[in-house]
This record gives sequence, structure tokens and C-alpha cells, in this order.
Amino acid sequence: MRRLALTLPLLAPLFALSPAHAQPKDNLVVDLPGDVATMDPHLQWDTDSYSVYRNIFDNLVTRDTAGKIVPQVATAWRYTNDTTIVFDLRSDIVFHDGSKLTPDDVVFSIARIINPSFKSPQLSQFDQIASAEVTGPAQVTLRTKTPYPALMAQLVKLSIVPRAYVERVGDAKFNQEVIGSGPFRLRAWQRGVQSVLDANDTHWHGKPGFRSVTFRAVPDIPTRLADLRTGRADITRGLTPDDAEAIKSEKSLQLLPVPTERIAYMFVNAQAGPTKDKRVRQAIAMAVDRDLIISALQQGYAKPTNVVLTPANFGYLSDLPGWPHDPAKARALLKEAGAEGATIQFLTSPAYDRRLNEAVQQMLGEVGLKVEIVMLDQPTYLRRRQGTPEEAGALSQGRWSCACQDADGVIFPLFRSGSIWSKYNNPEFDAAVDAARVVLDETKRLTHYRRAFEILREDVPGIGLFQDYQIYLARKELKWTPTANEAFFVSEMKWQP
Amino acid sequence: MIRHLAGRVGQALVACFGVLTIVFFVMRLSGDPTLLLVPEGATAEQIAALRHELGFDRPLLVQYAAYLGDLARLDLGESLVQRAPVAGIVAERIPYTVALAAGALLVALGLGIPAGIAMAVWRGSIIERALAAFVLAGQSLPTFWSGILMILFFGVTLGWLPTSGADGLSSLVMPSVALGALTMSTFARMTRISVLDELSRDYVAAARARGLSRMAAVGRHVLRNAAIPVVTIAALEVGNLLAGAVIVETVFAWPGIGQLAIQSIAARDFLIVQSVVLFVSIVYIAMNLLADLAYAGIDPRIRLER
Repeated sequence: MRRLALTLPLLAPLFALSPAHAQPKDNLVVDLPGDVATMDPHLQWDTDSYSVYRNIFDNLVTRDTAGKIVPQVATAWRYTNDTTIVFDLRSDIVFHDGSKLTPDDVVFSIARIINPSFKSPQLSQFDQIASAEVTGPAQVTLRTKTPYPALMAQLVKLSIVPRAYVERVGDAKFNQEVIGSGPFRLRAWQRGVQSVLDANDTHWHGKPGFRSVTFRAVPDIPTRLADLRTGRADITRGLTPDDAEAIKSEKSLQLLPVPTERIAYMFVNAQAGPTKDKRVRQAIAMAVDRDLIISALQQGYAKPTNVVLTPANFGYLSDLPGWPHDPAKARALLKEAGAEGATIQFLTSPAYDRRLNEAVQQMLGEVGLKVEIVMLDQPTYLRRRQGTPEEAGALSQGRWSCACQDADGVIFPLFRSGSIWSKYNNPEFDAAVDAARVVLDETKRLTHYRRAFEILREDVPGIGLFQDYQIYLARKELKWTPTANEAFFVSEMKWQP
Repeated sequence: MIRHLAGRVGQALVACFGVLTIVFFVMRLSGDPTLLLVPEGATAEQIAALRHELGFDRPLLVQYAAYLGDLARLDLGESLVQRAPVAGIVAERIPYTVALAAGALLVALGLGIPAGIAMAVWRGSIIERALAAFVLAGQSLPTFWSGILMILFFGVTLGWLPTSGADGLSSLVMPSVALGALTMSTFARMTRISVLDELSRDYVAAARARGLSRMAAVGRHVLRNAAIPVVTIAALEVGNLLAGAVIVETVFAWPGIGQLAIQSIAARDFLIVQSVVLFVSIVYIAMNLLADLAYAGIDPRIRLER
């Protein structure tokens, strides 16, 4: 008995030391919902790929945790006229192969991504750039086709690649074995399984807090949660509000929710069917109860917005009035428009939250509109939604992110007449958004956007529902502040005591 | 025999051709794949340019001819999303799917056949009823649910097995059990019926009369005869296991072709989806062919009937 009493305390640590409570380790393990599509930063920029390769490269400029555009490869920039901008560059940056990052690499990177034959999916984000040239030992000058205010926001996404290496090995091999100048270098990429990066101790910004980082592809949310609970992974993203609520009580883990630049919105067809009548669209805006959607479906992981734009975007004005939730007034407006009991189609596909469709259906049903939910496969949905006003249905939902944090990337493609998504035509609105995209002065741009949003409020070709959240789950000891643009900088993470 | 073989192979080739034709047309007629590939903010001109670049603006029959031509050269094209040859991307995943199918088959044979024999031999006893419940569970639990339950119990609570990924044999255990459960039940039921059928025959009574114990009679005579239908089923089930791992691979983050299919659908990587569907169909047809041939090989009556 005495022997047992002596042995027990010795055994105790064995039972207490479940992996989740083990000592912080040098390798950070990240569970991503998907695999890296391309390591080449000039090709895909989906969240999973970006989360990995953005750690391998330095970009021309970047955003700080508050969302402000700040220097990275460029130290300073100035406009010499409305279409010419000069960048001063750091001269102490070295690629992982030991070669120096020069202005020539910056020019090459821009020329590469805007070269149509390279067929970058990001081309449309950079195609306002007319040319880039080296204008000094540490200087590059960019010219845009027209004055282009979103340029800096787009350049946040421009990674600088080493010209000599890319030209030597070719695009296909570069995509497999990328070399950058970032805080981590690629050690191994097992397609579909995992990517392993090693710390770049000579990075100009200093040594990263981890010796290495492993990104694994784990598509199923419950499996990612199990990985976190067993310590197999240290951080993951993409939790639904319901998952977040369920895991909240887990003591060894912390939730890191962050409002993003993604706007959840409803499209309302202004050019066909009963919603062609402005009063019907206004009635819909008043029938939808945003607060209920946020509390019941999003479990509070969302912020209400009055417009089809989030506060994380330039152009958002917090003082713009929205439509109040007022079912009685909505009913009266429908009656006035003679649309009581009318049937309207809500086009959707399995890619969208079914519960939101049904909630809206019920809310509109309560004010006297019969909503028929039409479930389509994604290609058919897109074909109809982007097709003629007659086939686009009266309503649909969406979550829009331009990855540029600017109103120009949101309300221009959604509502400007002539855009594939727009089923709305108001020359006054067109003039406002057109003007806002060719003037650099921020105050003037805001004036144009104020006008644009006032018109949108009156015409209701779309309804802003809420600012969407990204929900991360991490070990309690991990210290990190996620950002609205969902950047995943491992060099900004560290263990805390 | 040769004629039978040639006939069967011919039928399989026709089936393959049918499959690739259906895959081609269904994927095109269900919508414009270009729309899935462009970024959300793309303009109509950019979409038209990409459609032209990819050749989706050509007449469907011209595209079909080009597709058959590429296939004849075993060229599956380049992934529009990953910018790498599709054949390579699919080939990288096949070993994982084969390993998982092998593990599942091992589970299915190792548990299913003994369970089936025991259910037949001890028919009507408590053993049969207990095993029947076990077999029914394997048949009826959906894998997305049983998979998560296993992860929570063996991975999180007990900490015996890794919760996800493909790090060696221990990672293969849970996905194999989850995937093999249904096949295990099929084997158990087939074996039970087959053994019961043989047990009622005169030669068994004769063997017992000669003084052979029941177990000896089963071991020496019954199993050999009862094996024929089970072998046929096994070949068909291999096809199922190779093709039906989409959910299991997703739940356990197992990097086989099922997960590749799901990832490619999510990433709108149209050519990979098409190639995965083609691969799975051809495996299925090939396994059916093998089952047919094996059946004919084992049982001469099948050949003579032709």
C-alpha cells in the first residue's frame, strides 16, 4: 500500500499531460479548410492559398492590424501627378536563395501579373496599371491608365517574386518550389496534404516566433475542432457561429472572432417582376429583421449594416440611415403597390445558407409576399443571376468581398448598370460611382459615395444584412490579433505565458 | 471461354465510352464552366475573353471531338486553378485512396466473413442475434456520423488514434473502419446466406454421418462451396470502396481522390472534377469486369451457359 502511495504521484503527470496541455512548441500547426491551390502568389488568391504563401513573400505594401496601408517592400510613396506614383524601396531585403531584392524584381512582378498571357485570375485587380519602371537605385515608378484611387488597396496583394529565379526555372516549377523574401521559406509542399515552412532567421523584420509552421488541409469542421482539442493543431479558421457557441466552454482553447470586409447582402431585382416597383423593394427592406437574423442565425457573430458595405471598407459612412424594421409599414406599401399576395422567386444554390433563405421567406410571408425558394446548382444559379433581369429572380443572397476594402470593389460590380450582377439602372448612381473611381482625393470620393448610397437607399436594388465574421479557434496560449482582411501572418503570432 | 472474355471486355469498353460521353455532356449542359472560374467582380468582357481562351465558346461537338482527341493521347489537360497537369494531381491521390480501400477491405473481410459463418453455424442462437445487431449497425450508421463519433471517442477522449490526416498506419485505422463498415455487413450477410444454403445440402449430412464434426464439415467442405458468391461480391465491393470514399476522406482529412473531388468542386476546378468522375467510373467498370471473369473462372457452369 505504501508503495502504491509513492508510485501514484509519479504517475500523475502521465495522465495530466494530455497533448493539449503540453509545453508550447517551436512548430505551429495550422488546420486550414482546404489545400493551397497555388504557391505562386500571382495566381490564386483564395483564403487558404493566401494564408500560406503570404508568409513566404513580402508585398509592396501591407496593412497593419488597424487596417491602415503601411510600408513593406516600399518605404514611402508619392503621387507626382494623378496617374504617376513613385515608390521608394528598401534595399536590405534578401530572397531565400541569397539574392538581393531589387527594383527590377518589383517591376518584373507587376509586369508578370498584368501580362494577359500569364492568365492570372488576379488580373482584373491590377489591370489599371499601365506600366512600371525602375527610376532609381531603390525606386520604382508606376503609371495607371486613369487616376485610380484603389491602387494602393490592390498593391497590398502584390507579392514580390525573384525575377532571376522565376525566369530560370519557369512558371510551372516556380509554382511548385517558390522562393520569396518573407519571414518563412517553403520546406515542403505535399499537395492535398500539408505545406511546411521554415523560419527565415535573416528576414529584415527580425526572427519569427516559430521555428516552423505546418499548414494542414482538414475540410470537415468537427474534425478540425477535434484536432484543436487534442493538440494536433494549434489554430484553425472557418468555424460557423454554431460551432463557436458549442466550443466556447473548452478551457484550453480561445475563440478569435473578427469582423471582416465581407458583406452579407440581399439582391433585389429592380428591372423585372413585382420588385420592379420601388415600393415593393422598399417594403422588402422594411420586412427583413436584421437584428433577428444576427441574433438567431449568426449567434451574434455579425454586425448590422445599413448599406451594402462594411465599416472595414473605404466609402462606408456610419451616419447613413437604413430602413427600419417595420412590418406594418411594409404591408401598407405592398398594398399601395398592389403587390399583396404576389409570388416572387428567391434564387439560390447549395453554396448559400439555407436557413437565411427560409428566414427571409418567412419574414416576407408575414407582410404578404409569397416567396418561392428556387434551389439551383451553382453554374445554373450563376447563369440566371448574371443573365437577363427576367431570369435573375426577384431575390437572392450573397456574401461579397473584393479583398480591397474599398466601396469601388463592392457597389460598382453589384449595382453599376452594365455589370453582370446589376439588375438596376440609375444614371445618377452610375455617375456617382464612376466619378468616385477616377478621383484620388479621399474627401471628394466620400462625397460621391455618400450620394451613391443615398440613391441606393431610396431605390433598394440590394439590402445590406450584416458584416460577416471570420471565426478562428486557437490554443489559449497563442497570442495573435486577427484582422479584417483575414491576413494570416504567422510572424505576428507567439506563445504567451 | 475466349469468346466470353472478348464479349465482356467489349461491353466494358462500350460502358467506358458511354461514361466519358455522359460526363462530358452533363458537365457542359449543366451550365457554363467559365462562370465558375472567374473572380466575382469580373466584367462580361473578361468572362467572354476567358471563355474564348478556354475554348468553351466553340460548338459542343467540336469540343467533344477535341476532348476525345486529348483522351486518346492520355492528356487530361491542365488544372485551370492549380496550373499543373490534371493527370499528375489525380495520380498523387490514388495511392491514398488505394491504401484506404485496402484497409477497409481488410476490415470488411476480417470481420464480415467470420461473422457470417458464425451467424449461419449458430443460427437462431443468442450469438446470431448479437452478431445480427452488429451487422445492422455497420450497415445503417452513416459514415459522416460514425466517423465523427469515432474521432471523438478514440481520438479526443481516449487519445489512442490521430484525429485527422495521413501520418502512417495509425491514421488509417479509423477511416478504414468507417469506410469498411457497410462492406463488412454485406460480406456478413452474403456469407451467412451462402453457408446456410450449403449447410442444408446432402453432402453435409453425408459428411456428418461419416462422423465429421459440424465445424470440421464447415471448414473442410462448406466454405469452399460457399466462397463463390462471396468472391464475386468482393470484386464489386472493391469498386465501391475505391469510389465511395468521398465522405470518409472528408471527415478524416484523408488526402485521397474523394477529398480531391470535394476540394475541386469547392475550388471550381472543373477539369479535375471531370477526371475524377472518369477515373471512378472506369475503376467501377473494371471491377465489374473482373468480377464477371472471376465468376466464370471459378464456376464453369457460367461459361457453358453462354
